[in-house]
Amino acid sequence: MMLRYTLGFTLLALLGGCIGDDIIDDRVDEVVTIENPIDSLQVGVTYQLNASFLNNIGIEEEREIAWESADENLVTVDQEGTLEGIAVGDTYIVAHVPMSDRMVTDTMTLHISEDLEDGVSGADKGGQLRSTSSYILQGNFTVVGENGGIRITFDDTYKASEALPDLVLFLTNNPTTTAGAYEIGSVEIFSGAHSYFVPNVEVGTYEYLLYYCVPFNVKVGDGLID
Amino acid sequence: MKYSITFLLSLMTLTSVWAGGPWPQPKGKGYFKLFEYWVVADQHFTDAGMIDPNITTAFYSTGVYGEYGLTDRLTAVAYVPFFVRNLYNNAISGTTGEVIIPGEAVNAFGDVDLSLTYGLVRDKPIVMSASVLFGLPTGVTGRGGLGILQTGDGEFNQMIKVDAGGSFQLAGINFYASAYAGFNNRTQGFSDEFRYGFETGGTFLNNKLTAIARFTGIESFQNGSVLSASDGVSLFANNAEYLAFSPEIAYHINEQWGVSASSSTVFFGRLIMASPAYSVGVFFTL
Repeated sequence: MMLRYTLGFTLLALLGGCIGDDIIDDRVDEVVTIENPIDSLQVGVTYQLNASFLNNIGIEEEREIAWESADENLVTVDQEGTLEGIAVGDTYIVAHVPMSDRMVTDTMTLHISEDLEDGVSGADKGGQLRSTSSYILQGNFTVVGENGGIRITFDDTYKASEALPDLVLFLTNNPTTTAGAYEIGSVEIFSGAHSYFVPNVEVGTYEYLLYYCVPFNVKVGDGLID
Repeated sequence: MKYSITFLLSLMTLTSVWAGGPWPQPKGKGYFKLFEYWVVADQHFTDAGMIDPNITTAFYSTGVYGEYGLTDRLTAVAYVPFFVRNLYNNAISGTTGEVIIPGEAVNAFGDVDLSLTYGLVRDKPIVMSASVLFGLPTGVTGRGGLGILQTGDGEFNQMIKVDAGGSFQLAGINFYASAYAGFNNRTQGFSDEFRYGFETGGTFLNNKLTAIARFTGIESFQNGSVLSASDGVSLFANNAEYLAFSPEIAYHINEQWGVSASSSTVFFGRLIMASPAYSVGVFFTL
């Protein structure tokens, strides 16, 4: 009789433990993002802007993107996103996609200059890290185009928890998940100024830095690249 | 090797539940148990002792535990988890319903613990024993696509432990109380640990039912080394600490056979799961 109990117990034990489903709230706002923004353009010089539309889970989706110059006396932009500097001044460019209930836009401020080395000057982006967990994550960062890639530089306010195993830094357009994210690598510096060079990525390709603990499957924090 | 959060809780409970206390088995006598232990958790204690969510992970361990009296003072103890399953759930998009990150599981042999317990003081109101335990890295680590599934910790640890306790009667009911303290020397860069525990139990229904209240804890010596992530290795278990409460009920069906059930809840912890663990078993006394 005890043998039967024992066998039954073992079978029950072996049958347990199926993989279940965890529902992740991964909805984000749809956005249009200018991937290669600039902040200055020389009069008479043309520059091709690229933009993409990211859907409500941060995945790029084909949409027709409309371009608009706030002052066509200073700079023109055609519907392919090609800029041409006309006259000196400050203005801005808008890329937009109409949605059913609103307009999704990205705006790039622009200075038109008479004399500019290389005819164009790339725009820097940056932001501030924030912890979305109980683990420490803080610091300011900048994102700058460099040699066909980007350099992400953290200043001396940066600090991250050393307690986690394999804290990994990602670039992503959806800060709720690592799905579709670009993995930069495991974090090895946990305080102070440092930088990463990421090849073949443009300044505006990704919207967020994402810090994620892979062994825990836990999001630690993020930083909007603004 | 990567060390998932799941494994810590397994260590925590498994190493406490089997404590034989300060009473060695008489020569030729023994206690053997077939058990199933499991924990399913979607949250954990952070390094600051706060509770944060995580993807649901689970750890199931099926194995045998045995004590056998080699002499009246010396008892051999073995803990053999012969089937261990570690998994994490699918992450499903709440927006699209699609699988974002597929869940995975690993099934394998777990880490075996072998120990010897020697009765230092016997037949006194307060008895004492000393134990030496060897934790063998017979489980697997670094499994699954993310390399985070494991059924062992990948390190060989050695623990020395001293137990003391006594039995007494209250209102005609048999009770006992015992406590232990131990030093666990861990390798592979894990921090060494101070382990301690206290338990008390009473027998009821003509000694057929035993109820136990058990408290166990770990304090880290904070002397582990964290390996560079660039080496493809990361450590988790370093510096984990907790204080847990584990009530247990054992029912003797007859003189030799019985069944038991227990749970384990962490009062305070750092870097361990924050969900209860459970264990059921069938035991046999020789």
